[in-house]
Amino acid sequence: MDRQGRAQAADLAAGPAAGVRFLRHLGAVLLVVAAVVLLALAWNHLAGGAPAAGPHGPGARVPVVVLRGGRVVARPRTRLGRVNGPVIIDLRMDLGLTSMFDPVNLPSLRHAVVIEAGVGAAVVIIDSVRRRWRRARRAGC
Amino acid sequence: MRHDERMDDAVDPAGMISPPAAPAAGRRRRIAARTRLDFWFDAVLLLGFTLAYSYGFTGIGIHEWLGIALGAALLLHLTLHWDWVIRTTRKLVSPRGPDKLIYLVNLALLVAMTFCVASGILISRVALPSLGIYPLTGPFWTEFHFKTADVTLFLVPVHVALRWRWIVRVGRRLLTWRPVRRPG
Repeated sequence: MDRQGRAQAADLAAGPAAGVRFLRHLGAVLLVVAAVVLLALAWNHLAGGAPAAGPHGPGARVPVVVLRGGRVVARPRTRLGRVNGPVIIDLRMDLGLTSMFDPVNLPSLRHAVVIEAGVGAAVVIIDSVRRRWRRARRAGC
Repeated sequence: MRHDERMDDAVDPAGMISPPAAPAAGRRRRIAARTRLDFWFDAVLLLGFTLAYSYGFTGIGIHEWLGIALGAALLLHLTLHWDWVIRTTRKLVSPRGPDKLIYLVNLALLVAMTFCVASGILISRVALPSLGIYPLTGPFWTEFHFKTADVTLFLVPVHVALRWRWIVRVGRRLLTWRPVRRPG
């Protein structure tokens, strides 16, 4: 129960119906996300990114080469594309675990953190000033 | 009046009502499990996004796997807050509907982040090929991925900071250790 003596929202959600409700919400979210992805694909199509519109002419095919450790391990197929060379896919799993401990790579992380902190701080300041101003105006009335 | 102005200590952004704070008993104050889940899950999402954006720091492998995990986590985040989405969408028709700015920022973030994750999957060079999936590639998707990532990097802190009062309130309650009160 909350301070007003009402049942908690979480309690209402609990029970056998909670799973069904979650799945229903997940279904709705997937639909929304699918619509946004379709929007991106339509954008690509309208921007002339359709494979058939490539510089090699309609329906040009580009070879796909798979590398592991610098050696060609497979040429699975060709595919429609508009790149001028073969698509090279390197299977070498560069997890970057060592790069994370290398101080040389820290500026990349710092760049993201500084932008996030700066934008976040600006929003908090603007929100605080706006609230104070509104409170002062209400008090003045 | 905006949503977070009406919100007292007991209500989180998802509209869940938390139980009243329990008396101090040598442990952290009682906070609804759902509020705790929201706080920590969102903190992990923020950290995950910051790391995933820092491509030069993580390397391509972690960048791609983290991006895919982030996509799945975002679906869960949105599902957990779907009630808020429905409620706020209904209120949008009113001329001074609450949460309008937050709603618009969240909508823009949803679109930008979905674009970013989807284009990232389409240009994957390590993660998907290692599973035997050879996705599309091309200059459009690469450029699209970079641009949407930059937009997302701007929108994520706005999204977080618009809820700063809730974050401070819940963070203070979650992270403050209160000493045991001994009788007498």
